[in-house]
Amino acid sequence: MSASQSAVRSRAEAVKVSRTFDWLILFTLFFVVLGGYHIHYMLTGGDWDFWTDWKDRRLWVTVAPIVSITFPAAVQAVLWWRYRLPFGAVVCILGLLLGEWINRYMNFWGWTYFPVNFCFPSNLMPGAIVLDVVLMLTNSMTITAVIGGMAYGLLFYPGNWPIMAPLHVPVEYNGMMMTLADLQGYHYVRTGTPEYIRMVEKGTLRTFGKDVAPVSAFFSAFVSILIYFLWHFFGKWFGGTSFTQSS
Amino acid sequence: MAATTESVRADAAEAPLLNKKNMILGSLLYVVFYAWVRWYEGIYGWSAGLDSFAPEFETYWMNFLYIEFVLEVSTAGILWGYIWKTRDRKVMSITPREELRRHFTHWTWLVMYAFAIYYGASYFTEQDGTWHQTIVRDTDFTPSHIIEFYLSYPIYIITGGACFLYAKTRLPTYQQGLHLQYMVAVVGPFMILPNVGLNEWGHTFWFMEELFVAPLHYGFVFFGWAALGVMGVVNTEVIAIAKLLKKDLA
Repeated sequence: MSASQSAVRSRAEAVKVSRTFDWLILFTLFFVVLGGYHIHYMLTGGDWDFWTDWKDRRLWVTVAPIVSITFPAAVQAVLWWRYRLPFGAVVCILGLLLGEWINRYMNFWGWTYFPVNFCFPSNLMPGAIVLDVVLMLTNSMTITAVIGGMAYGLLFYPGNWPIMAPLHVPVEYNGMMMTLADLQGYHYVRTGTPEYIRMVEKGTLRTFGKDVAPVSAFFSAFVSILIYFLWHFFGKWFGGTSFTQSS
Repeated sequence: MAATTESVRADAAEAPLLNKKNMILGSLLYVVFYAWVRWYEGIYGWSAGLDSFAPEFETYWMNFLYIEFVLEVSTAGILWGYIWKTRDRKVMSITPREELRRHFTHWTWLVMYAFAIYYGASYFTEQDGTWHQTIVRDTDFTPSHIIEFYLSYPIYIITGGACFLYAKTRLPTYQQGLHLQYMVAVVGPFMILPNVGLNEWGHTFWFMEELFVAPLHYGFVFFGWAALGVMGVVNTEVIAIAKLLKKDLA
């Protein structure tokens, strides 16, 4: 190959080629990351995300941010640190939510007939926006991990509260008190329905009161910071361009 | 004048840099095929997929499984064999324009990989969750598994293998050895299929309940992370394409 030869006929063609590659790359990155992120999330936090009767104030609030900050941290490590694109976290969450919504509608509802208001996915977008904005404004991985990671954990419950609050009101049904979400679960019996399977806060005197959600969110924020650091470095490694030398 | 006319003719006859027809047909192949698969599941999942001892289960599901096994092995053999057999033995002496064209073809393959990964890892895997929440399994070969594990996973493995082989046999960029992150992006999701062995073995101990976040499933999670290797492929491609276009974009 001659170094003097050009791959394109004109500058206009070069620009067109460059733009076309941009779209091909974005499409591929979006859907491959979607696939990897979705299988990760559904198998580490999925049950809390699938059903409203799992969306409690303790474990859902704790687990979902911790397991979902992973891929955003890794993708930011490439999109921001290599290309100065400030949307690594948002693009991950958009992918995850697209995959989830298609599934909940086409399969949870379309194949096994669970109503969508029983199996809609959690909203992870507010934390993702903050994560991207903090990184863009500070250009610092450490500050993004500490401030952004903490915000990611803390914002999860408030970001979902307007959707979940109506389903957490108490109802009395056949002499027992439960939440509307619990009632949905009892009506739609699943193989995950038995109480020894369902991991939610157990009924005690404080079931309907006080501090469970904020404490859980704060703990989640703490672990999210640590997970962000770890996955940032995972992302750096996955974005590498190294070759194993052939012998 | 004659030379100019010949040059114009040569340009007109030259293959396009990006073959859009291949891209559209390839995309349609995945989308239409999986739409048909989803229709089949919707009809025969409920009517013939609930009892693995029933004769209709053998007719509609086990036969589906046997056919897909044969088709997958043949497709992998023919496709990978073709790409390898027709490899370019003088790959380092191609023109920059030909190299650019091959990068486009490589990206056509990668777009197909994106479709295949989406359907395998996202669409059919989470779908399996809702099926198991609804139906108590009495076999490893449930309708959702016959589609998820034994159809959608092999399809992305075949597609990913084709991407990697194409890059290795046609692009100068990948001649200096084996691209580590590319191998991770292809081999990692491939390992999800053997991990089905662990999963099904685990499920022989209990099958009435379904917990998607059970540690038994973490093998899928670990290998799912490997999809992030695509970022290394993107970075390598950006460097290679920038090198080809740098002079003209300056």
